[in-house]
Amino acid sequence: MSAQAWLAVAIFVIAYGFIATEKIHRVAAALGGAALMLALGLTDAEHAFFSEHAGIDWNVIFLLLGMMLVVSVLKRTGIFEYVAIWAAKRAKGLPFRVMVILCLITAFASALLDNVTTVLLIAPVTILVCERLGVPVAPYLIAEVLASNIGGTATLVGDPPNIIIASRAGLSFNDFLVYLAPIVLVLLVVFIGLIRVLFRKAFVYRPERVAEVMALRERDAIRDVRLLVVSLVVLAVIMAAFVLHTVLHLEPSVVAIVGGLLLLALSRLDAEDVAKDVEWPTLAFFAGLFIMVGALVANDVIGKLADAAVDLTGGRLWFATMLLLWVSAFLSAIVDNIPYVATVSPLVSDLVEATGGDGASSVLWWSLALGADLGGNATAVGASANVVVLGIAERSGHRISFWQFTRYGLVVTFVTLLVCVPYLWFRFF
Amino acid sequence: MPTVTLATPALEASRLLAQQNLPGLIVLDDQRRPQTVLPGTQVLRLAVPRYCQDDPTLARVVDEPHADLFLQALDAKTVRELLPAQPRELPVVDGDATVLEVAAVMARMRSPVVAVVAEGGRMIGAITLDNLLDRMLPA
Repeated sequence: MSAQAWLAVAIFVIAYGFIATEKIHRVAAALGGAALMLALGLTDAEHAFFSEHAGIDWNVIFLLLGMMLVVSVLKRTGIFEYVAIWAAKRAKGLPFRVMVILCLITAFASALLDNVTTVLLIAPVTILVCERLGVPVAPYLIAEVLASNIGGTATLVGDPPNIIIASRAGLSFNDFLVYLAPIVLVLLVVFIGLIRVLFRKAFVYRPERVAEVMALRERDAIRDVRLLVVSLVVLAVIMAAFVLHTVLHLEPSVVAIVGGLLLLALSRLDAEDVAKDVEWPTLAFFAGLFIMVGALVANDVIGKLADAAVDLTGGRLWFATMLLLWVSAFLSAIVDNIPYVATVSPLVSDLVEATGGDGASSVLWWSLALGADLGGNATAVGASANVVVLGIAERSGHRISFWQFTRYGLVVTFVTLLVCVPYLWFRFF
Repeated sequence: MPTVTLATPALEASRLLAQQNLPGLIVLDDQRRPQTVLPGTQVLRLAVPRYCQDDPTLARVVDEPHADLFLQALDAKTVRELLPAQPRELPVVDGDATVLEVAAVMARMRSPVVAVVAEGGRMIGAITLDNLLDRMLPA
């Protein structure tokens, strides 16, 4: 490799180290690394800003921005609070049923919206329901965030790593529905069995407390019925447009940003107020990350790594699939899965090409998605949603320690990955 | 002007605020010197369930009988727990401070109460926002 390539690797490794250890803020680390790459001529404006494979992938940025706008409006409708309380009442306050139903709502919402927003909206109402039922709050919050990461695996928009993978691999929304949604359904069934055992001590039924849940007034959560109807209609249209990609030929990023802006216009909310809820730092983080990884691509670092990976796997597709699944899960458990997938995607792209580039070798993309998404469940810091829920729990006086989360997360991650192994085998080999 | 210490029960502090119609209380240290100001809204921050602060929609779904009981959360808590982790800069003036000085301290520190201290930091009185406005506005 050239001296320039080594310099790009050094900057990338240092910036990644800062991101992983959180020594400095991840946005500062990613943008700082990107600025250095540009200033030192390791990449240029042509690559950084105008190449989706060696620079900022605007499809990812605008897809995220569009969905963030949708979420920003949707969360003002009170629908999450309504559905969660309605469901807890339908469960008649039976603790296991309440946990299952809240987990399923979280998983479903996480498949359509981003995981962090979903848990941000579900966690407070869960605390309210649990306190009313007199059951420990921590197991319910842990179960929900685990369900969120599993549910988010199902669709293209469910988890940011999937958005990156879809863009890099040219996979459609329907591809995710066909290849990942079925296994996610199986995983959720397995997950429900697991939580029955893992959290068995949390299912203390107190008949005298059930009336307190039944007294909650979920209808009062919805103030603006028009806003709710408009939001749900626009969300349904967005999902339909995703699914009808082959007919409409609209990129997911176009659908999301048009949908987000349409909803903003129809909502009659203050645009500045809604825009404040967009996670601008996250978008800047993505941009910095893409420029850094793009510099590695432009300097052929990724190409060399891909050659090494091809040599290592020796064209054995099943071996490569398993390696990607478990290594991705391991690394996503200890560092954020977004930078991991952004870095590995170009490498996997080369690997797919080297192993034939046909339908069979696309299994590598799915093993990357499953490993990275499900691996986020393993530890308290594996996914952003985990960190957010731990913060909410602590502020509410129901502290969840790193190990308290991780001992459940590890079991769930291991079992769910194990279930994926025969699925990948039977589906692709 | 009633004062409290860090060990004063939170409920007692709340009662003082309500009964004497005060916007905040001055918290004294062991030497009876003003340590910080406890604004009334800070009491609410601890009493209102955190989930309602994280998601204000939830305050609407709580039924009336339970909504009336939220101050019970202050049971067994003390003033120490009501105060923010980072102590606020103390809004304090000397005995010879002008009305403008007092107003400037209140405005800068967004404090509804200002402690008046003598030399050595001993508290000799307090001025509330009401007192200040009464003095400044013509009757």
